[in-house]
Amino acid sequence: MASLLDTSKPRINCSMLSQHIGRGVCFVGRVEKVHPTGKTFSVSDGEGKSATVELNEPLEEELSGIVEVIGMVSSKGVITTTTYNILREDKGIPFDLELYNEALKVIHDFPQYYPFEVAASG
Amino acid sequence: MTKLSEGTIEALSNGTGVSDAVLQLVNIRKLDGGNGPSRFRVMMSDGRHTLSSFMLSTQLNHMAEENILAPNCICNLKRHVTNILKDGRRVVIILEIDVIKPAKDVAGRIGDPTPYTEGQSKGPQSAPVPENRPPLQPQNRNEVNRGLNRDFGKKAPSVMPNTPGGSSKVVPIASLNPYQSKWTIRARVTNKSSIRTWSNSRGDGKLFSMEIVDESGEIRVTGFNQEVDKFYSLIEAGKVYYISKGSLKLANKQYTSVKNDYEMTLNGESTIIPCEDSCDVPMVQCDFVSIGDLENRDKDAIVDVIGVCKSVDDISRLTTKSNREVSKRTLSLMDMSGKVVTVTLWGEEAEKFDGSSQPVVAIKGAKLSDFGGRSLSASFSSTLMINPDIPEAYKLRGWYDKEGHAMDGQSLTEVKGGSGGGNTNWKSLSDVKTEHLGHGDKADYYTCVATIVFLRKENCLYQACPSQDCNKKVVDQQNGMFRCEKCDKEFPNFKYRLILSANIADYGDNQWVTCFQESAEAILGQNAAYLGQLKDSNEAAFDEVFQHANFNTFVFRNRVKLETYNDESRIKATVMDVKPVDHKEYSKRLILNIRKLAANH
Repeated sequence: MASLLDTSKPRINCSMLSQHIGRGVCFVGRVEKVHPTGKTFSVSDGEGKSATVELNEPLEEELSGIVEVIGMVSSKGVITTTTYNILREDKGIPFDLELYNEALKVIHDFPQYYPFEVAASG
Repeated sequence: MTKLSEGTIEALSNGTGVSDAVLQLVNIRKLDGGNGPSRFRVMMSDGRHTLSSFMLSTQLNHMAEENILAPNCICNLKRHVTNILKDGRRVVIILEIDVIKPAKDVAGRIGDPTPYTEGQSKGPQSAPVPENRPPLQPQNRNEVNRGLNRDFGKKAPSVMPNTPGGSSKVVPIASLNPYQSKWTIRARVTNKSSIRTWSNSRGDGKLFSMEIVDESGEIRVTGFNQEVDKFYSLIEAGKVYYISKGSLKLANKQYTSVKNDYEMTLNGESTIIPCEDSCDVPMVQCDFVSIGDLENRDKDAIVDVIGVCKSVDDISRLTTKSNREVSKRTLSLMDMSGKVVTVTLWGEEAEKFDGSSQPVVAIKGAKLSDFGGRSLSASFSSTLMINPDIPEAYKLRGWYDKEGHAMDGQSLTEVKGGSGGGNTNWKSLSDVKTEHLGHGDKADYYTCVATIVFLRKENCLYQACPSQDCNKKVVDQQNGMFRCEKCDKEFPNFKYRLILSANIADYGDNQWVTCFQESAEAILGQNAAYLGQLKDSNEAAFDEVFQHANFNTFVFRNRVKLETYNDESRIKATVMDVKPVDHKEYSKRLILNIRKLAANH
């Protein structure tokens, strides 16, 4: 889905899922449970709420820790993944999911100072 | 049409108390004060009579100068006092007045008032006050005042009532001025200094000073020589006294935060008598400055502050230049501005201070200094109050228990060796310029997050004395020997040391800084000796070190000071410390600042 990767993908958490249905988003969360088929798994955000992530192909690797998922929000609030990154826990500074959530809230509370849309279309 | 309070003029002229009278200002005239502040003489009308013997108290001069008080305006006379001149005439001093209808909204004179003359109506005449009053008898005084207190209740005294006994009235401190000498005030001593002696070519003498306060204001009082002997042991701080017949003169505002245009000197005629009934006299008069505002005040200013003591350090002992040992203690004070300042206590106050349970601390007359940015010191003339019984203290307590206790607060005082969160003086590079950091007498220190945008690799290394503790530049004797002037020795070698000139920048501004050995090595990622070697042997590799170091972001702790070389003044910034950015801490701080900014909108 080349088109999805060209548009701006706002970073969101679970409470913002409903406002982004049908849109491309970027979701960072901690992997909770992986479905035995490997085609879907649940993630929790910095507020502790959970969301479901679906993949096109089943997982080929062990998934744990914090992941960054880029995909689209379906009408049922499920993220259909285009691509994902694992933020490795054994490298660099440990990721602070709660702090990330605070930053997320700031970005959404003051959109006038974070004009990501403009930057993407530019 | 606004109704005036008819009968007020008559009442005032008879010495009967009035409160909240609606009067029309007929005329206002400026009297040249000579050396002192101007005085404004006012004529007021109550619709029935006019009276021209009103004087505006000097603290209200601005109302006249700004034309708030102008002919025809309608006013509410809230507080005043009546003084009796030597010839028996009355002067009404206006202490507090509100303009309820400005002059431009009033068509003209209301009613047809005629000038009031004594004896015009049947009001009770006051007995003219005798010229030479004997010193006050404590007995009369107390009875009289207890009677008065019953009448007043706890209302703010708007008028000093006339006592049938004929003994002198008590006037408010705010009404004291050099033009009237026969007055008595009732005030509490908030601060008494120790006896100071001096000896110079003109002779020697001694003095003491104190600050006194009543419901209307405060004033500084000084006694010299004989008055020291007469009064010093009699006076106790915290107690209330009747004081009369001191001399008033213009105040020297440099050494005190007392709010009064005048100050008082005790003389041979002055009397001071203890007052038994003192519950109405306030404990202290303070004009608190918000801690957040302290940055805007000049260093060495004397201010009153109040805040919650967030934390207190242990007592330390220092030896002064005169070899005296003195105790010292620092505490951090926070108020509703969210800012924290370090306060230093000395001597007995330091020893007695109990900072447990985070008390509300108020300091009157604290000295502001630019040490570490901004900090406060309780000097010998400051008054320290713990959990004072004043409304500001209750407000602070309520705020702190609800929100304040959870805040880290941003400190105005930089603590040596401390970084992160509470005690660092974080600034952006544009802040440094707009706040003119470094322009004072002492250097300023600040911490910032900035990116290196330029490194000067030319002349960044110099040859220094190889001795352990000496870093002086050595002179190349050209014979294989290097001479150090400081050590007065010659050496066959030297050590390379770094002085790196760099330009650092953030989103708002940039700053040229000088980095010495440690910080330069941290930035370049190599030690001076190795760099020296590279410079001499492999210039390409040497250049690459600088390329590599460019555009890295660090947390810089810098020192700025205005330096003057041959008539030219320039700000010099030195890097004291360089650290990698702690992104977590940085994010947290930014989020906190954003939220604070949003909340204050």
